[in-house]
Amino acid sequence: MSALIRSSRSSSGIAEALALLKAGNSRLVSIFGSIDDDGALSAQYLLDVDKREYRLFTGHIYGALPSVTGIVPGAAWYERELHDLFRVEIEGHPNLQPLVFHDGWPEGVHPRPGCSNAPLSHEYRFLKVEGEGVCEVPVGPVHAGIIEPGHFRFSVVGDTVLHLELHHFYTHKGVEALMEGRQVPDGVMLAESVSGDNSFAHAVAYCQAVENAFGISVPPRGRALRLIGLELERMLAHIGDFGALCGDVAFSVPSAYTARLKEGLLRASAGVTGTRFWRGLCRPGGMYRDLPAEGLHSLAECVAETARDFAELARKCLDTPSVQNRFETTGILKREEARALCVVGPVARASGLKTDVRRDHPYGHYRTVTVDVPTHITGDVMARARIRVEETAISALLIAQAVRETPSGAVSVPVPWQASAEGFSAVESPRGELLYFLRVREGRIRRCHIKSPSFQNWPALPHAMPDNIIADFPLINKSFNLSYSGCDR
Amino acid sequence: MIFDVAAQSLTSKSVLLPLEQLLGDCIGSRMPEVVVSRLNSEVASQAAAACPVQALRMEEQDGMRQLLLDYGKCTGCGHCIEAGGGALRAAASGVPCGVARRALVRCWNVETGNDITPEDAALDAAGKRILALLGRALNIRQVDAGSCNGCEAEIGALSSPYYDLERFGIHFVASPKHADMLLVTGPVTRNMEEALRNTYEATPSPRLVVAVGACGCSSGIFQGSYAVSGAVDAIIPVDGYIPGCPPTPAMLLTGILKVLAKQKSAL
Repeated sequence: MSALIRSSRSSSGIAEALALLKAGNSRLVSIFGSIDDDGALSAQYLLDVDKREYRLFTGHIYGALPSVTGIVPGAAWYERELHDLFRVEIEGHPNLQPLVFHDGWPEGVHPRPGCSNAPLSHEYRFLKVEGEGVCEVPVGPVHAGIIEPGHFRFSVVGDTVLHLELHHFYTHKGVEALMEGRQVPDGVMLAESVSGDNSFAHAVAYCQAVENAFGISVPPRGRALRLIGLELERMLAHIGDFGALCGDVAFSVPSAYTARLKEGLLRASAGVTGTRFWRGLCRPGGMYRDLPAEGLHSLAECVAETARDFAELARKCLDTPSVQNRFETTGILKREEARALCVVGPVARASGLKTDVRRDHPYGHYRTVTVDVPTHITGDVMARARIRVEETAISALLIAQAVRETPSGAVSVPVPWQASAEGFSAVESPRGELLYFLRVREGRIRRCHIKSPSFQNWPALPHAMPDNIIADFPLINKSFNLSYSGCDR
Repeated sequence: MIFDVAAQSLTSKSVLLPLEQLLGDCIGSRMPEVVVSRLNSEVASQAAAACPVQALRMEEQDGMRQLLLDYGKCTGCGHCIEAGGGALRAAASGVPCGVARRALVRCWNVETGNDITPEDAALDAAGKRILALLGRALNIRQVDAGSCNGCEAEIGALSSPYYDLERFGIHFVASPKHADMLLVTGPVTRNMEEALRNTYEATPSPRLVVAVGACGCSSGIFQGSYAVSGAVDAIIPVDGYIPGCPPTPAMLLTGILKVLAKQKSAL
């Protein structure tokens, strides 16, 4: 992983970050607050400069913070979160409504009671769209399927959507605050439960942040095993997403078939590792235990067979006119909008942005392999479906290669975590760039910030909705397939 | 094209698992079990000390030292197995599912190794009674009250061709108004508390509630967070509990059927 380059710790840090964002060659990765060792409140701006390096800019907060949302629309939710969790005033924000805390949130219940006790701002108000024939359709938080809770407010004329507003954070569990005060090794378990379907990516990202902080290098075999787990998780996610898309266009046979392929992989995983989702396998310094060679080979066989089966199924589905009819030109996210909102992962790549942490900021075993990064330009449901099909094939090849060339030796090294340090790590999770920032003081977590790809991508979903019919919303939503829990944390 | 897809599906081998193979199975859940022959006071203390969530603990009652294992809190991290010197191992079957909350707690006399779990809490072989229930319809409304979506992934897998929940007459329905049972996951977050209550109120009586996962059973690792209201039973009455982080599809199926069996025997 490329090293994190820090600017000096002063109020000028914020001005520097602003200047870089204005210049336009940097992508906003995250904005988050933290309380320094001396008790002062500061804001951190994390930028990806030229796809070359991550740079962290820190500035003490005196009074209000100037909003960067006008320059980078993708900053809007970060600033609202900062306002909620640290009670920082954001000057010039276009819509500084509560994000994390809903109406009726009890006064005095706050992750940082030490922060100024000013009451949270006014009650949440949805944008009112007015005009002849406009009506509102509220959906959620409890949805019709087996999915997570969130609220969607549509303003429609007939079937056509004019405006969609998201009201999320129903699953906000205060994970970042729960991390604080824990011993470093105990953070893995919480990381695994930030977004359960991406638990291994979260575990690896957390452990890499610890390793980055304490200058530890994971042995080659441990790195290769992590790659296998990460790519397997991506295959599971992409195959599942493709099946869900088929289900939403009433193509239920392939939907059931992908469920079968997915379950086959999960059962093979359980047979080899003892866990279906690779939980409890990653730990700071490497892997919890080694995986036997014959087990890895049988897993690789299952992966190869699944990939073949899936490629054939996907080709047949995407050649079917009724599927093409529903997927093409539906839910277009334009490239400019994706860029402005700093969108990451398969959604970004489907809108023509060639971005992938595995290629731009390689980490672990990815430094020794070449990762193809497919992109599409149409930005519609079809593009997002194709990206997933293509990436599944690439993941299967990466797994085959890693199993064939798995280095021998130890899978982990001890980490001298009972000290003080800071670290960060980025991982390309199935949904895109996932980043952990970690500050450790005497072996205990002082601050842990999780930049989740879902938090970044959710605000882009409403931009893909206008002029589509409301009946296509489930399809468009599933083509983004964002995690509610990962976003809400 | 559409026929090609159907042909590919029809020509593939059936993967459906028989009920006998699923009941009680918990492979892949990482839940621990005690190996009685290896249990002694020393290893029990070591294993209990390694548990990061206090699911495993030592207690002294009437001068007898006992090891308590609360499956409702266990996340299956495996630390106790590593520290327990062979006295604990990953369970392949037998983790209590679909039982009362107190029945998720097993206990052993660490001197003798005897299982001293109170009688009514011990797992009974519910197989026959469950088989007699099949064919009856059960409508389930799943409610995520704040989970990490790990439990949802496993509940979703119940509809896959391996488990095919519908063969037992069990359906997932879109509205609580159509439901006989609520399958609730999560630690209940503050932001979901009201929605969970409303969903429960909208479900017609008689209704069953099953709390799913370590978080649903006990708030799990999110216990004590400012943003969490508590376990499911802190908000609405619960009829049965399914532990696990997340519970496997087989554990979910076992739990759902056991709650049903208990309900039928009470009629």
